[in-house]
Amino acid sequence: MSDYVVDLSDVRREYQTGEVSTVALAGVSLKVARGEFVAIVGPSGSGKSTLMNLIGCLDRPTSGTVKVSGKDISTLDDNELTALRSRAIGFVFQQFQLLPLTSAVENVAAPLLYQGLRPKEATKRAGAMLTRLGLGERLDFDRGRLSGGQQQRVAISRALVTNPDLVLADEPTGALDTSSGAQVMDVFKEMNAEGRTIVLITHDLEVAAAAKRRIYIRDGLIERDDADTKAGAR
Amino acid sequence: MNLWLTFRLALSRIVAAKVRSALTMLGIIIGVAAVVALTAVGQGAQQGIDSSLASLGANQITVSASTTTGLEEKDAAAISEIEGVLKTSTEVRTRGTVSYGSESLSVSIIGVSPEYEDLGNPDVAIGSFLPTSPGLQNSRTVVISARGADELGFTRESVGDSVRLDGLAFTVVGVLDDADGFGSGAEVYITQEAARSLFSKSPYLSVIRIQAVSQEAVSPVEYRVESFLRYSKNVRDDKDATFSIFNQAALQDTIKTVTGTLGILITGIAGISLVVGGIGIMNIMLVSVRERTREIGVRRAIGARQSQILTQFLMEAVVLSTLGGLIGLTIGQLASYGFSVLGGWEFFIDPTTVFVALGFSALVGVVFGVWPARTAAKLQPVDALRFE
Repeated sequence: MSDYVVDLSDVRREYQTGEVSTVALAGVSLKVARGEFVAIVGPSGSGKSTLMNLIGCLDRPTSGTVKVSGKDISTLDDNELTALRSRAIGFVFQQFQLLPLTSAVENVAAPLLYQGLRPKEATKRAGAMLTRLGLGERLDFDRGRLSGGQQQRVAISRALVTNPDLVLADEPTGALDTSSGAQVMDVFKEMNAEGRTIVLITHDLEVAAAAKRRIYIRDGLIERDDADTKAGAR
Repeated sequence: MNLWLTFRLALSRIVAAKVRSALTMLGIIIGVAAVVALTAVGQGAQQGIDSSLASLGANQITVSASTTTGLEEKDAAAISEIEGVLKTSTEVRTRGTVSYGSESLSVSIIGVSPEYEDLGNPDVAIGSFLPTSPGLQNSRTVVISARGADELGFTRESVGDSVRLDGLAFTVVGVLDDADGFGSGAEVYITQEAARSLFSKSPYLSVIRIQAVSQEAVSPVEYRVESFLRYSKNVRDDKDATFSIFNQAALQDTIKTVTGTLGILITGIAGISLVVGGIGIMNIMLVSVRERTREIGVRRAIGARQSQILTQFLMEAVVLSTLGGLIGLTIGQLASYGFSVLGGWEFFIDPTTVFVALGFSALVGVVFGVWPARTAAKLQPVDALRFE
């Protein structure tokens, strides 16, 4: 088993819409090691969402291999893929995507419950995680009573609660104002400082600057792969 | 995600969309309520019929004259000798006027033999029935039906008073209760001897009641009595018959057939309404799956298996339909209670009805929830997350 959390080699992903075939990824090779903080940067239509779906075990490649936590996702059936996703990946979405009719603590407990944890234990761990992210006072609030920044912190708690190998964040500041966005980025930096592997998908160069490595993607290919010279400085 | 949590989630969904849930459940509610109420009415009616039949006495056959000269006293004497006959009673009916004080009323005057008290089972409310000892058969005593007493202005104290039957004085010894079987009307009962000597001098009879020795003997006795009467009256064709035979068991069979048909009808209504209700649930669940595609995507992304998504949506359909069934059952039972008060029968909650109503409601949820739930479970996480 390799020490790479993400290991893509010559990955192609094509979409078939009727007669027309669209190439979203045209041969991408990419490795992310444990403890890295990577930003995947590109304009819309560049293929970065497709890349995120593959890394997040939500989709399978047309050709090439995608390994997540050492497992080739093309060989897994739906249940195995779900199990891998549940264990290895924590998702943070642009629109927060908190579950409706569900309190903050229930949202964070949901991934643990899907893993089969007992409700009492799941709630305890979810509460502890929210408290760590400064939401200890708002455990029973539903999403209507939380600000955007708070909602995103609930979502981050939900991503972290299963102790995943990788946190995968899709435009996490896209729906936030500048100051809430900065707070969320601070949370990511702290997480990384604690050794958490993070892959961030964004079109915003300013957000990408927070990462230690930036991968620029355009027209389905990696254009540039910039490791931060000051890596580990923060 | 255990079942209890899934159940709570489903319930909070249903409560959150109250109006929509209520409208969705309406089909099931109406169906179950209607069936529960109809079943109760059926059972109540059956109860009423059973008790009416019981009041007619057991193992009886009634022969009624269909012409004024249809039955004679010698026929009754001969019938009492037939094998399997325990005893017989006879009745002579004429019409007359009864007057009490300033009131007078046209009534049926029924002259009954002493055995009538055993076979006809008159339900005496006040006083007693006619005397049965042979020495008192020519006494001028009368028993009045409830309706007759009512219309004459009789009270409890009137027993012992004198009334006039077609001008002749009779002493009232008793008043009957009005729940005396079928066709209770304004009637007065006197002894057959008195009737014979004062009103109906011919040797003809209106009714012969026969009690068989046992339940099993009823049919053979009926056959023998009919054969005997046909022979003695020289009846060759049914239309020439001067009498008709009525067997209580046969009536019971007829009623059973009718209630059986009613049962099939109710089952049919139940089936149709549950299917219609189920389609309503399926429809709303499909809408729900579409509306919540993003949520399904998020749930899949954070680790929900297909089976867990399936369970969640199936649970919602089942809770929706079972809740509908429960509400329908409650409404149905309330309606049954209302009917029981109106119909005067005993109200009871039949555990079978409760079990069947809830069981079938839940089953409808499963059957009509499977397709939407499968649709939800089969969504590709990528597509579901991207869905706008």
